[in-house]
Amino acid sequence: MPDLNCLKDLSEVTHQIFYPLFVSSRTNPHSAMSNESSRKTWKNPWSYREGAIITVAMIVLGFAMQIVSSGTVLRLAGFPWNLISGIVFLGLLVTVFFFLKKHPLIKWLGSVKAALPAILGFTFLVLLMGFVKQDEQSKNSMVQLLGLNHLVKTWPFILINVYLLILIGIVTLKRLTPFNLKNAGFFLNHFGLFLVLFSTALGSSDIRNLNMDCYENQTESHATDENGILTELPLTIKLLNFEIEDFRPKVAIIDNKTGEIVTDNGHQIFQLLDRDAFDLSNYHLEVDTFFALSEPVDQKYFETTAIGSAPSAKVKVTNLMDKSLTSGWICSGSFNLNPEALRLDENHSLILLPAEPKKFSSEVSIMTSNGKSQTAVIEVNRPFKIDGWTIYQLGYNTEMGRWSDRSVLQLVRDPWLPVVYSGIFLMMAGAIFLFVFGKPKNGGVENVA
Amino acid sequence: MWLNFPVFASFAILLWLGATGLFLSSASKMLNRLAGGLSVLGTAVLLVFVVQLWMAIDRPPMRTLGETRLWYAIFLSGIGLAAYYRWKYKWVVCYSLTLAMMFLSFNLNHPETYDKTLMPALQSPWFVPHVIVYIFAYALLGASSLIAIRNLFVKPSGKTINAPVHMADNLVYLGFSFLTLGLLFGALWAKEAWGHYWTWDPKETWAFITWMFYLVYIHYRFRNPAEHNKAMMVLAVAFVVLLICWFGVNYLPSAQNSVHIYSE
Repeated sequence: MPDLNCLKDLSEVTHQIFYPLFVSSRTNPHSAMSNESSRKTWKNPWSYREGAIITVAMIVLGFAMQIVSSGTVLRLAGFPWNLISGIVFLGLLVTVFFFLKKHPLIKWLGSVKAALPAILGFTFLVLLMGFVKQDEQSKNSMVQLLGLNHLVKTWPFILINVYLLILIGIVTLKRLTPFNLKNAGFFLNHFGLFLVLFSTALGSSDIRNLNMDCYENQTESHATDENGILTELPLTIKLLNFEIEDFRPKVAIIDNKTGEIVTDNGHQIFQLLDRDAFDLSNYHLEVDTFFALSEPVDQKYFETTAIGSAPSAKVKVTNLMDKSLTSGWICSGSFNLNPEALRLDENHSLILLPAEPKKFSSEVSIMTSNGKSQTAVIEVNRPFKIDGWTIYQLGYNTEMGRWSDRSVLQLVRDPWLPVVYSGIFLMMAGAIFLFVFGKPKNGGVENVA
Repeated sequence: MWLNFPVFASFAILLWLGATGLFLSSASKMLNRLAGGLSVLGTAVLLVFVVQLWMAIDRPPMRTLGETRLWYAIFLSGIGLAAYYRWKYKWVVCYSLTLAMMFLSFNLNHPETYDKTLMPALQSPWFVPHVIVYIFAYALLGASSLIAIRNLFVKPSGKTINAPVHMADNLVYLGFSFLTLGLLFGALWAKEAWGHYWTWDPKETWAFITWMFYLVYIHYRFRNPAEHNKAMMVLAVAFVVLLICWFGVNYLPSAQNSVHIYSE
């Protein structure tokens, strides 16, 4: 077990860390010349071996802490404690670096030999997340105890993150001193990633994410958070109008016995009803009439915009095998209208599927606590920003479909977002730098990556 | 007909088979040039198809796995030929064309329905750049992995390995810069569409793992430039992770609630 090894050699480690504090590294001639394979673990200069041991020890320690705390779900402190600890962390990092720049441990922390095992350790944890379903109660008590189903909020994840932040922080400082423009790409990639990891970790507890149910012509100022707790907001929202625009509905063929949609090669067979004539499996369809919204009267459909009306079509269907002809109405139905299928032969029927939404939007009037009032149209991919809040269109009453009078809005507040975005933009610039100047020399991307 | 994929795909495959055959059999400059021409023509045929498809279905053809495989075949064939002109290795273009043909044949066996609907979350200016940048990165990294896989089987020794590894490095740096851009575009888009830039959705988790594996390759090459074989091993494994992220996530039990799965 590497962590036992780590305990056994503890005195050696302390010696190797503290000895160079008092003695200049030049007095230790072995450090430069020692042969890696014959070098004793914990003897300077450290290599991948020490990196692996530290990384594994950190993960093991993290999971041990998880067990001791009987599977706790960690939540970092919010404002102002996260900001204070962030500043203290940065201060310590910079101070330690500038005073101990020449120390073998600091040199090692800023090297690939420390970074690679740490990257692999982090990858290992993320791989666990890739295989274990996250944010869901697990029947396996071990998964629950180790926190594998909420890994982001566990000790091993946080420990490795802090370790990575130290490594990236030190390597960034190392390349910044002395300053050289050649290191621009390196700085963009590493400091960008540092900012993103740093601000997402610290800012996570300051994020507010609430869902608000709005009903047409009603005013709402309460919303529920992730834990289902209702809270009052500093703004009120009045839903003026909720609107859905649908695609044309699809026609499909179902098996009369099973009621399932007929498949071909595993694909369900359907066509969008947006043309006058087309083939569907072994049938040819001609559309006589199409109503986007309609209601039946005496086995015929008529156009209407009454609540609960639904798309319908009169079609002529030719069986391409025996040339037999069928015609009649199909209707996709709604929350208060039965769907209508057209029987084609003893095996198959033609149905009209419910139309899929093309876009849905809410016209709202928003009043903030300082009396400012604004109207806006919010739709998916087009959120609206006001007073530090971003308001998203989340959903509606899907059972009612286009007749829904309820619109679900999502309200998000993330004060750390500007820092996260700065990191993201630095990384983007770094990626472009790598693309333009990233010519490898003997495997190294000296100044870029 | 405008959507007759089998005709276009078969035509492209025939042209690429011709190109591969010529590349492998001829030493003459003239015939190599002809082979290059056939290869470009094959790619052009697919481009014509994809442009027509885009216009016919009235949405970017980037929604289904099959549609992304189509773009992959287009990019990979182009990248293979560009790598050939840049580094003069015929096997690069032959391998790339072969892999591109495999993807096309796979699509031939799994006909698409070309559903015209596009859910509101995908209707964004980010949709096209996000997918295109990603698939282009996948194609570059795929080409680099072909070099790695060849290395595992051919086991070149001494100096003969230097140039191919150098080529793999170049492809990885290009591929990694696009991979990073694709990932970050995705984060910015997610913030606009879902309210948060990163939710550890299974697709995001696997995209991050993929990114980490190529990060390992780059750092390892930087620190241990002489360890070619180990580096090529990392590169081969990284491509397996990439494929899990691209296709595998659809089948992983841990990813059944992903908001991110390609429709079939």
